Amino acid sequence: MRIVRSMAAPTSPDPAFDATRRWLDPAFFDFWTTRLNPLWTWERPRARLLARRAEGEGAVTLLLQANRHWRGVQPGQHVELGVQHQGSWLRRHYSPTSLGGGRFEITVKTTAGGRVSPHLAQVPLGEVFELGQGFGDFTWPAGTSPVLLLAAGSGITPMRALLRAHAERGFDRDVTLMYWVRRREDACFAQELFALAEAHPRLRVHVHVTGEGVPRVDALPDTQWPALAGAHVLACGPGGFVQAARARLQDQVAGFQAEAFTAPVQTQAEDGEVEVVLARSGRTLRLPRAVSLLEGLEAHGLKPRHGCRMGICNTCVCQRQTGATRHLLSGQRHDEPATPVRLCVQAPSTDLILEL
Amino acid sequence: MTRATNRVLTPAELDRFGEELDALRRRVTADLGATDARYIRRVVAAVRWTGVAGRALLFLGAFVPMLLWPAWIAGTLLLGLSKILENMELGHNVMHGQYDWMGDAHLQGATYEWDIVATGDNWRKTHNFRHHTYTNVRGMDDDIGYGLLRIFPEQRWRPFYLLQPPIAVVFALLFQWGVAIQDLRVGRWFSGKMKTRQLLRIARPVGRKAARQLLKDYVLFPLLAGPFFLPVLLGNLVANGMRNVWTFVVIFCGHFTADAEVFPKECIRDESRGHWYLRQLRGSSNISGGPVIDVLTGNLSHQIEHHFYPDLPANRYAAIAREVREICARYGQHYNTGSLPRQFGQVAWRILRHALPSRAPSPQPLVQGA
Repeated sequence: MRIVRSMAAPTSPDPAFDATRRWLDPAFFDFWTTRLNPLWTWERPRARLLARRAEGEGAVTLLLQANRHWRGVQPGQHVELGVQHQGSWLRRHYSPTSLGGGRFEITVKTTAGGRVSPHLAQVPLGEVFELGQGFGDFTWPAGTSPVLLLAAGSGITPMRALLRAHAERGFDRDVTLMYWVRRREDACFAQELFALAEAHPRLRVHVHVTGEGVPRVDALPDTQWPALAGAHVLACGPGGFVQAARARLQDQVAGFQAEAFTAPVQTQAEDGEVEVVLARSGRTLRLPRAVSLLEGLEAHGLKPRHGCRMGICNTCVCQRQTGATRHLLSGQRHDEPATPVRLCVQAPSTDLILEL
Repeated sequence: MTRATNRVLTPAELDRFGEELDALRRRVTADLGATDARYIRRVVAAVRWTGVAGRALLFLGAFVPMLLWPAWIAGTLLLGLSKILENMELGHNVMHGQYDWMGDAHLQGATYEWDIVATGDNWRKTHNFRHHTYTNVRGMDDDIGYGLLRIFPEQRWRPFYLLQPPIAVVFALLFQWGVAIQDLRVGRWFSGKMKTRQLLRIARPVGRKAARQLLKDYVLFPLLAGPFFLPVLLGNLVANGMRNVWTFVVIFCGHFTADAEVFPKECIRDESRGHWYLRQLRGSSNISGGPVIDVLTGNLSHQIEHHFYPDLPANRYAAIAREVREICARYGQHYNTGSLPRQFGQVAWRILRHALPSRAPSPQPLVQGA
C-alpha cells in the first residue's frame, strides 16, 4: 500500500550522539556490528522476521522484532518496510499492530505479479528488513461522539489497528466500520472484524461488495448510512475513494480525517498533465507528460539542481516516493516506489510524489 | 608517432552509431540485479578488511618490536590498497550513481563521502557533471591539465610550462590536494577575478574535510599507537602517497595518451547523442591488462566504456567493452587501448614535449559537413 505522505526523517535527539557521528561513519560502524548481529546498527531502524502465519486466502501475517532505534507506532500509523530482493531494496508501506517490546505484526496480501508480497510470503525466518519510523496522523477522536470508519481496499489496515487498540478498552460510543471491496474474497480480516463486532455491541461492521451491486461511497443511499450529525469520520483508501467520501460527508459530520494512497494506475498516455507533489517544499504542481520533469519544473519557475540534462551526471537525481515515470530515451516505465529518478530524462506518467 | 585513423562519419551513420550504443545501455540496464549488488558489497568488504588489516599491522610494531619493519611495509601496502579501492572502485563509481538502483542508503551517489581530502560535493560537480559532459572540451573540462599542465598543443604555451616536468611529479604526489581545490579555481583568485573573502567562503567545506582527514591519518591513528606515533604517521603518509600517484597515473592515462583528442567549444553546440558518444570515444583511452588492473583502477581501465556509460555499474564494463569494440570497428573508429607502460609512456611524453612550444595539427572534422 502506498500512502501519500513522505517519511519522517530519522532524527537523533542526543547531541553527544551527533558529535560522535561526525567522527564515526555509520556505514563503517554498521559494516562491522551487523556482522555480529544484523540488528546492531548505529542509527538505522531494522527488524527481524520472527514468525509467519497464513491469514485467510492469499495473505500472511509476519511477526517482526525491531531494533532499539525504532520508536514504535500509534494505532492507525504506517511504517515503511525495506525488503532486499534481487540486489535492491524495495520499499512498501504497511500498517503494523504493535505488540510492545519492539515487536509488531504486519499483514501482507499477496499480489499476483507483485515483487514484494510473494517474496514476503516465502522469505526464510530470520530475514532482516530495513524499517522506517511510524508516520500518518489518524487520531482517535476525543469525547464520546460517534465514530465512522471508511475503508476501501488495503485502506482497511489502519482501521483494523485502531479497532483492535480501542476494543481492548471497550467502546464507549457508537463505532461503525464501512469497508468497500470489489469482490467478497478481497475483504481482509473479515472474520476478525465480524468477531470483534460480535463481542462489542456498540461496534458495527459492514462490508460493501461493489461487484455484487452495492453502490460506491458517493452513491450509497441515505438509509444505509448511520447517523451522521456529530460523527467523526476517518477515511482511508485510494485517492478517488477518499475524495468521493469527503465530498459526500464533509458538510454533514463534525470531523473528517483522511489518508489516501495512490492505487497503481496503468496508463500508456504520453500527453496531458499529471499532478506532482514536491514533498520537501510542500508544493503541488501540474506538469505535462510530454516533457522531462526538469523542463516541466523549470516552466513553473523552479530551478532544481541539475547538470548535463542528458541523463548521465546524476546531479538532478531525486527520490520518487510514489507514482510512475517514463524514461524519455528508453521509453521504459518505472513505478517502483521510493527509488531515485533523474529529472532530466524522466517524464511523469501518473501523479507523482517527489522528494524535492 | 602516427595518428590513429578514424573514418569521418556521415550524419546518418553518426545517428546509428549513437542508437547502437543506446541500445547496449538499455540491455545492460534491464539486466542489473543480484550479481551487481554482490559485487559492490564485496568491494565494500575488501575496503573494510584491507583497511583494518593495514592499520592493525602498522600498530603491530608497537607490541612486537621485532616485526616493526616487515609489519610496517605490509601494513602500509594494505592501507594504500584499501584507500585505492575505496577511492576508485567504491567511491568514484558509487558517486556516479552506478549503484543508486540498489536503494542502499550507504551506496547512494548523491550522498556518498569518500576517504580523500576532496569533498564528494565538489567532485560530483567538477567530475560527474563538467568533466563527463564536456569531456576534453577546451575551456569547459577543467581536467585538461588541471589548470597546471600543458598536455595538448592546443593549449596556449607560456614560459611557466617549461617547469612542468618537475611540477607534474609534485602534482602526482599531492594529487588528492589538486582534486580538492579544483573547484575553488584558485587561478581566478591569483589573477584578481575573485575576492579573497569569496575564496575563503567557498573553501570552507574543503577546509573542514581536509582538517578531518589530516586529523584522522596524522594525529588520531598515530596517537593510538602511543610511542610508535611516528611509524604509524609515516605509514599513513606513504599509503596516501601511493594512492595519490596511482590515481594520477590512471586518470592521466584515461584522457591524455597520444591519440586522445581535445575539442573546441563550437564542437558541442546542439550536440547529438551520436556526436557526444563519438567525442567521448575520441577523448578517452583504455588500459589493457585484465581483471587485476580493472579492480585496481576502479575499472577506469575501461575509460571509454566508463565515458559512454558513467552511471552503469563498473563491474559491467569488461563485458560491455567487447561489444563497444566491435561497434567501433564497424564504424571505422579507432579504439584507443594499450598496456599501462605504453599508455603512461605516452602521457609522460606529452608532459615533456608540450613543456616546450608546440603547434597543434590541423583539426580533423568528426562528422561530414561539420
